Amino acid sequence: MKYPVTLGVNGESFELLVEAHKPLLHVLRDDLNLTGARRGCESGYCGACTVLLDRQPVHSCSVLAVAAVGKEITTIEGLAVNRQLHPLQEAFVADGAIQCGYCSPGFILTAKALLDGEPQPDSSTVREWLKGNICRCTGYAKIVSAVLNAAGKVRAGEGR
Amino acid sequence: MSAEFTVVGKSLKRVDGVARATGRITYGVDMKLPGMLHAKIVRSEQPHARVVRIDYAPALRLPGVKAVVTGADDPGGLFGSRMSDQPMMAHEKVRYIGEPIAAVAAVDEETAEEALGLISVEYEPLPAVFDPCEAMQPGAPIIHERMHEYKYWEGWCNPRPGTNIINALVLRKGDVERGFAEAAVVVENTYRTHAIQHVSMEPHACVVQAETDGRVTVWSCTQAPYLLRGSLAAALRIPASKVRVIATAVGGGYGGKVRLKLEGPAALLSMKTGRPVKMVYTRTEEFIGAVTRHPSVIRMTTGARRDGTLLACRAEVILDTGAYCEAGEVVLWEVVQATPGPYVVPNVWVDGYCVYTNRVSAGPCRGFGWPQVTWASEGQMDALARELKMDPLEIRLKNAFEEGSISASGEVLHSVGFKECLQRVAEAVDWHKRERRPGRGIGLIGFTKMSMPQTASAAFVKLNEDGRIGLMTSAVDLGQGISTALAQIAAEEIGVTLEAVEVAAADTDTTPFDSGAISSRQTFHVGNAVKRAAGDLKQQVLAAAATMLEARPEDLEIRQGRVSVRGVPDKSVTLAQVGTATQIRLGQPILGRGAHLEEDIVMPDMATGQSPKPAPYWKYAAQAVEVEVDSETGKVVVQKMVSAHDCGRAINPLSIEGQVQGGAVMGLGFALMEEMIFDEGRVVNPNLMDYRVPTSTDFPDVEAVIVEAPHRDGPFGAKGVGETSTIGAAAAVRSAIADAVGVTINELPITCEKVLDAIEARTKEQKLPG
Repeated sequence: MKYPVTLGVNGESFELLVEAHKPLLHVLRDDLNLTGARRGCESGYCGACTVLLDRQPVHSCSVLAVAAVGKEITTIEGLAVNRQLHPLQEAFVADGAIQCGYCSPGFILTAKALLDGEPQPDSSTVREWLKGNICRCTGYAKIVSAVLNAAGKVRAGEGR
Repeated sequence: MSAEFTVVGKSLKRVDGVARATGRITYGVDMKLPGMLHAKIVRSEQPHARVVRIDYAPALRLPGVKAVVTGADDPGGLFGSRMSDQPMMAHEKVRYIGEPIAAVAAVDEETAEEALGLISVEYEPLPAVFDPCEAMQPGAPIIHERMHEYKYWEGWCNPRPGTNIINALVLRKGDVERGFAEAAVVVENTYRTHAIQHVSMEPHACVVQAETDGRVTVWSCTQAPYLLRGSLAAALRIPASKVRVIATAVGGGYGGKVRLKLEGPAALLSMKTGRPVKMVYTRTEEFIGAVTRHPSVIRMTTGARRDGTLLACRAEVILDTGAYCEAGEVVLWEVVQATPGPYVVPNVWVDGYCVYTNRVSAGPCRGFGWPQVTWASEGQMDALARELKMDPLEIRLKNAFEEGSISASGEVLHSVGFKECLQRVAEAVDWHKRERRPGRGIGLIGFTKMSMPQTASAAFVKLNEDGRIGLMTSAVDLGQGISTALAQIAAEEIGVTLEAVEVAAADTDTTPFDSGAISSRQTFHVGNAVKRAAGDLKQQVLAAAATMLEARPEDLEIRQGRVSVRGVPDKSVTLAQVGTATQIRLGQPILGRGAHLEEDIVMPDMATGQSPKPAPYWKYAAQAVEVEVDSETGKVVVQKMVSAHDCGRAINPLSIEGQVQGGAVMGLGFALMEEMIFDEGRVVNPNLMDYRVPTSTDFPDVEAVIVEAPHRDGPFGAKGVGETSTIGAAAAVRSAIADAVGVTINELPITCEKVLDAIEARTKEQKLPG
């Protein structure tokens, strides 16, 4: 049984027919072609599917699409504005925080939620926030430093 | 870094960084084609059994199901690395729980999943064997009855048909008995390592389209497009060029995505339906149906003089490769070459065995057997240091390989930055002035790894009409940054900026041959091929520009994309002018070609393992770890880790640091957290809740140290580093624990229970009278 729903994603409104049991991840990937939300473990452990729901990070594999109705959904595709990268994206590239990049959207979005609420986090706060996202490539050092560097740039008004 | 280079040696941003940061890059799981079906695999529930009957008629009746394939649809070709022992689908029997028996294609994933429940398999169970030592015994159940028919590469394999030993190799040097007789101390220990999973964040994924003309097109997140092409063609019994492999972006590989996996069943389903077929592994399938690191049992005896000079080493190395080789035969081949570690040992006797058991196959996994032998060899160095009351760093430095050292196989070693690695990590942890604090300890160890021989690379480099450079290779960027490194090499060689180079993705129809992202080989081999191709392009550019400028080619130079007469900068043409002229006006497009194959390799003598040049190059490294051990709980907390790697020449230091840090943390996971647990061949923890991998709060930042001992055959002296980074962590942690609380664990992983047990056992021992 499919239900008509309206989802607000990256500032746009989408009218869709979705099954009640369908995870948000599948709707984003299959129906909206927003593949930046990644399929990693589909059980809420790896964080590759992280998106922001009303500015808070969630594992979109573990959220039903119908439960996201009326909420503001942000995916990695919605982060760069007018082709201008978000300072977190800039920092991830410049600091070598991206290797295979599969987990990167999840990390960047989680970090965005952190910086939105806490513009001057220390490194242990960053580590604590990021522990729901697994990266198998970097060993996390460069991710943590990229988040701290991006925080500095956001505070200095070099980005949003 | 060197001032002599303008592009090489710089920490430039990765060429694909923005695409990855914005999520706008297509991984295997993202592929979509019109009319595409979705497939799932029916996997064996038995570790070893005859397949009596497969009933899939009910599945075909489910609306939306389009086809089912079984071993009966499989043309039956076997594939492998140096040993071809594996079918795409089980034929008359299954050899592990998880082996593909049938596959189903349906209009969507849910329907395919539902159809799996409608396929029943009748088995006739066979006796199974799960322990490699038992599998080697006479009378053990035979897992591959037709081993005598298997095809393999000469010089790599020594199978023993009628047993479960698929490869038995040796290394012999000097007279070990005499060495032990002369030794002041002899230590003997048994070391065990366990299975781990690669846990690439992107699962295995592919789309396969069987074309109407008999060709098969594969989009796969493979690490090695040409190896995949070769394996799939062999399995399908069609010519290799009938298969086209197009590489997608890869969301992590670490060795797990080297060999043919789900592409086989997907191809059979596409051939049957005529439609593109997509398959993506679930996380559970990654654990039960992909590959693992080889579990091992290593017995090692080492003898030394009173002053610490090594005299002899005898080792038996047993690798459990599971149901199929999956390159296990090569893993064994590599580690037998330097089982005693990166040390001069005059007398060596190594017996190595790669053994089948009834569990999911072990295969290439970052480090490729070297974490296992390093676990043993560094344990021996620590044991000798304890017996001799020597400093662990001193005994290593005393015996360490250096430029010109002779290896156990008889090779005169070149590009050996090992002692510098040891010294640099010692400095970083202030080794000689380190404070002694209860419950805290530092371990410092060293190791080596070869890059395997008989691999090849080719490159095409073209000049476009806009003066920009197109780089075509079949290298695969798993995240290690090879696209950037290759573009840097091309830019340096030609005399353009990194931004002027476009890197094409691998496609076996258009990009030239390559052995793939394996064995930390791409920077060296593809880098050499690119350097030569770029040099070839440069000569052609200079010749064309010479005509245009009415000058002699040897008087010209290229700088920042402009060809000018040396000393007369006004007399110049741009690369765009040269590109336009050659491509459009003259009809002589410029295409540079280059290739690399190590030509001086001598395959080791099968009777002795001796060879003056078994490997293209060796990598050297040292790691130090500081831990805090809680004697009440056995918990080990890593406080600091330093990892130094001799990479020949750092093409992109930022990328190398990333490799070193990431590999070290993967190694710490192997040491302290990760373990695939088996019960009668069944993986009991095939998910990320029960199988924990390191997260951001588990370990501290790893300090990466880059050591450069340039290699005469490397592009600008470079060697690889990606796999080496993982190798030593477990051994370093063990040494640190021993330093902290005086107990030694020789069986991985190091769990709280094992540490506590060892502490209790030692306490009891100390209480005993006398």
